[in-house]
Order: sequence, then structure tokens, then C-alpha cells
Amino acid sequence: MDTMTDRELEAVGGALAPLQPVEPGYRHVLRVRLLVAWLPLVIGAVVLDNAVLADTPVYGLVSGGLVLVALAVVILAPDRIYRRLRYGLTERLLQVVRGWLFHIDTIVPFVRVQHLDVTRGPLDKMFGTATLVVHTAGTRNSIVTVPGLAPERAAEIRDIIREHIRTDYA
Amino acid sequence: MTAEDRVVGKPERLHPLFLLTGLGGSLRGMAGGYAFIGYLAVSGRAGTALLAAIALLAVLVFSMFLYWTRFEFRVGDNEIRIDSGIISRTHRSIPFDRIQDVDISQGPIARPLGIAKVKFETGGSAGAGQDEGVLHAIPLERAQALRALIRAHRSTGIAAVAASDEAEQPPVFAMDLPRVLLAGVFNFSLVLLAGLVGATQTFGDVLGFDPLSRAFWLSLVSAGDPIADYILAHRVAAAFAGAALLVLIGLATGIVRTLLREYGFRLDRTEVGPRRRRGLLTRTDVTLPARRAQAAIVGTGPLRDGLGWRDLKLQSLASDEGGKGDHVLAPLTRDEEVNAILAALGWRPLSATIAWLRVSSAYLWTLAAVLSPLLLIAALAALSAPNFALGAAVILGLLLIRWRGWKRTLYALDGDRLLFRTGWWRRRTVILPLARIQSIDLTENFVSRWFGTASLAFGVAGGSGFSAHVIPALPRQIARALRKQLLVLDP
Repeated sequence: MDTMTDRELEAVGGALAPLQPVEPGYRHVLRVRLLVAWLPLVIGAVVLDNAVLADTPVYGLVSGGLVLVALAVVILAPDRIYRRLRYGLTERLLQVVRGWLFHIDTIVPFVRVQHLDVTRGPLDKMFGTATLVVHTAGTRNSIVTVPGLAPERAAEIRDIIREHIRTDYA
Repeated sequence: MTAEDRVVGKPERLHPLFLLTGLGGSLRGMAGGYAFIGYLAVSGRAGTALLAAIALLAVLVFSMFLYWTRFEFRVGDNEIRIDSGIISRTHRSIPFDRIQDVDISQGPIARPLGIAKVKFETGGSAGAGQDEGVLHAIPLERAQALRALIRAHRSTGIAAVAASDEAEQPPVFAMDLPRVLLAGVFNFSLVLLAGLVGATQTFGDVLGFDPLSRAFWLSLVSAGDPIADYILAHRVAAAFAGAALLVLIGLATGIVRTLLREYGFRLDRTEVGPRRRRGLLTRTDVTLPARRAQAAIVGTGPLRDGLGWRDLKLQSLASDEGGKGDHVLAPLTRDEEVNAILAALGWRPLSATIAWLRVSSAYLWTLAAVLSPLLLIAALAALSAPNFALGAAVILGLLLIRWRGWKRTLYALDGDRLLFRTGWWRRRTVILPLARIQSIDLTENFVSRWFGTASLAFGVAGGSGFSAHVIPALPRQIARALRKQLLVLDP
């Protein structure tokens, strides 16, 4: 199709900013979160093994397998998620890139933002991170989050975007 | 008139006949009460049941009377105030600036009485479906005066003149009775049948009525033995008659539903946006502010498309009556009429010379890749058990539809708006102004990555969850370039 070259795009300000990683501490947040998510499953499997499968030849297989999977997820996944999570900021828009298996690359123009939150849960406080939540008016994707930011950085981005919010759509 | 009255207006009450028109709604909301009365009646305590019914009615009428006495609204210079509530009082003020739509609707009881229900659409998520912005029963003239007042406030000056001209102007779009009936034919629906089947499954045993069992039909025709013999001898004819009956029921359901909803459909041009009037028993009158329009959706189906029929919907921040999502601007229409309606909205028409671009054939192959293991299994199994051939045929049919759908999945950049069309069964052409795009998602997954494609999903305000705006299977570079272009052109 009839697309513009990158140089033309830059000339009119449409180029995207280089993507930046989030805080390394976010990996620990993810790790604890995954641990909390997988622990009930592992406990359930152990209970199942001892209550139902105790006398069968597959005794230990379910819980053992699940423990291995859970360990692999908790050890490997946070680094991979962290590596794939990037965000970029230009003068006009915010870009969030995440995931590989299901890769999503979101762009939100600042003028479309309705309101902004910076949230910090207990885990965020423990590891020195914060989540920026951007609300747009869209039904799909009306909430775009950037997790794992340093609290100062999250506040800084919030202030940058806030400058651009205009109530011109209604 | 005191000084305060001048600013906030004089207190007004609902029409006293609200007691009559509102009763229908209240009666509908008392399902639990009926169940109880029904139980009493069935269990042989008819006297108690009658007493309970009278008591229920008395409580209803009394509570509605209380509601009426405690409900007041004031129309001020800049806002409407509604004071309501029997025990806990709510004082709501709605600034005219925030009112986007004024819906006027008249139910079957209210119409001969000249009473209308007025709903103020504010676009706030809390506004929909809640009673706070609703005046349940006021005289129709007052309702129209209110709307004129609010319009005049929003577009100072011109409104008063335009409102009086409105009656003489020819409509932008109108549907005569044959057109409404035709729309009903296309609205073929087996909902009623499903309900009937469900009901006979539940109550059929008790009533001795079960049209799904063969014994029922046999016993029915046993009086005339020749018929029974004929039916048994001609299974094909019986199946044919059954199918014809299904079609008839579906058609009748569709026509009745459409007739009730779309009768006298008329779309007029006003200075704020199109004004729609429709309905046989409940007549609704809705003005859709053009400024609130987010996207226009031209829909059709394989059959309607072949005959050149379309429907036109408008995605806006508010949802259509009954919370059904997009506002219907035309239930059954021709291309040139679609363009006329778009023009009334202040939108450019869909030109016939748009350079449509096709998405990547990966749209077809990704599904084929996902389904091919299943197809293989079904094909192998069919060698030993012929029934599996049906499964294989279904999968092949899915792929065929996907292929037809791929040929129809197109997109184009048309100045300051994006056009895209999708689908073989649900054919939609979406007109999306770039300024209405709230966010853009570029999505890849582990299957599409093999094919080097990505899809673009657009966040647009309003609309229902089913109307996600997606262009699937674009080659990755093109997806990125298109996204950049959209962001650049977006003012």
C-alpha cells in the first residue's frame, strides 16, 4: 500500500520513541505473584494425590509434575515477561509492548486519555515499583497499564500526559 | 416568582395519569408476587390468593402515589433538577450542557392519553438504565417543549427556527409498510420456536401436549387413519411439512418483531443530528447528536447483500433503547440512501471508487493450520467409521466460509477516516474517523508470527462488546506502517 517512509513520518512527528525497559524489581513482583497463583494448585495436587490416587500406580506423578511446572514458571517466566515488556513515550503518545506468545503492542495518543491512576500494591511497595493506569474512552482497551515503573517515573509520565489531556471529545 | 425560581425554575410534577401508565411497568416488575399468588391459587386457597392479589395491587398503587407526590422536577435556565425518593431523597441536577440525547417514548397506554416518557441521556455510564434522568410521565407538548429548550440551549439561536421547519422538511430516510415487512422477512428468527420447545419440554407432560414426540402426532391423526398411513408412508413429505412449518414460524416471528419496532420508521435532519421516530405500540423519538457519533457501521448478510440491501448503525457514546448497543439509523436501506443519511450526519458518502486493499491470505491459512490436525484425524477416522466424514465436511465448510470471508476482508484509508469491511456471514463495513480512535493495538501470536502477520485492533468509545473493530492478518510491516500513518493523520 501507499505508505510513508520512516523519514517522512519523522518529519511530521509520527515516529515512535525508542522503547525502554521497566524497573528490574518488577521481576520480583511477578515472581511473588506467580508463586501466590501456583501455590494453591500445587497444594490441591498434593491433596488429590494423597486422597484419591494414594493406592494407584500414578501416585506422586500429578503433584510431582505440577511442582516441576510451577518451579519452572516461577523461575523462568518473570525474566521472560520482564524482557518482553517495554514502553515508549513520545511527545504525543504512549506505547506499551508486551508478550511473545500473545504479543500486544498498544499505542495511546495522549489527547485520547480520559484520566490517569498511579497504583501501588503491597508487592509494588516491597520492591519499589508502581503501575501507571491510563483510561481512554474506548470500550476495547479502555484501560492500558504500564506496570513495573519506578514510582517517580510513573508520576513523571502521569504529569507529562496530564498536560495533554483536553476535554474536547464530548 | 421568586429569584430562585427564575434560576432553577418552578417545581413541576409528573402527570397525574402516571398512576395509570406507570402501573404497567410496576406490575411487570412483581414476578415474585405473581408466583406467590399462583402458588396460593393452585394449592386450593383461592380466597387467600384473591386477598393477596388485592393487597399487592393496593401496595403498588399506594407506593406509586407516594412516588408521585414526592417526585418533583424543575427546569431552570441551565439545568434540570429532579428531586425524588420516598424515604431517601435524591436531588439530581443535570446541566443542559451534559445532556446529549433527549429520548421521548410513548407506550400503548400513554399514546391515547397524550403522555410521554422523557429520558435524558447524559453519556455517563451511570445514566443508562437508571431512573434518575427519567421523567416517567409528562404531557407530550411539555416533553417536546423541553427538548426544544435543551436544543436551543446547546446550539443557541438556530434551534427555535429549525424546530418549526422540521415538520415540513421531507425525511432523510423513511420506511413504508412494505419495506418494514421486508425487513421483517430478513429478520427471520427462531427465538419463539426455541421458547416453545423449551415450554413444551417443561410443561408438555402436564398438559399432555408434546409436538416433539411422534406418539403425539400419531394420536392426533389416528381419528383419520388414512392421514396417519399417508404420513407413515411418506416420511419425506412429513419432514418437508415440518421444515415448512419451521420457516413459517421463523418468518412470522421476525415480521411481528420488526413491525412492532420499526413501524413508521422516519429519520429527519435536525441541527444537532438525525432524529429517529419509530414503533407501532411504543413510539420512540430519539435525537442522535452527530458530534457524539464514533463510527458508522453498514451491515448486511449474504442474502441481503445479493439483493442490494443494507442496514446502517451508528456507534455513539450512548446505547440504543433497551441498551442494545449501536443506534439503528436504517434497518433496511439501499446504498444511495446510506450515503444520504451519512450526508445528513455531515459525513462524506462512501464513494464507489475507494481503493480497497485486501488483507494477507494468512487470514485463511492460520485457520487452516489450526484446523488441519483435526481435519486429518477426521479424514483418517472416516476410513473406518463413515460418520466422521461429516466432521471432515464441517471443517472443510468452515474453511470455505473463511476463504469467502477473506475475499471480503478489505480496508482502505479514505482521507481522515479508516474504512474496513469484514466477514462473509456478518458483512460489516465500518467507517471510523481517525479522530475517534482511542487506542491502537497491534497483536501477534505464535501462530500468526509464522505467517508474518499482525492484526490491528482499534479502541473506539461506546458500542457493544461484540463490535470490536479489528483488521485481521495484515502483513507485519504494513500493519506497523498503517498504524504510524493513522497516528500521523490523527489531528
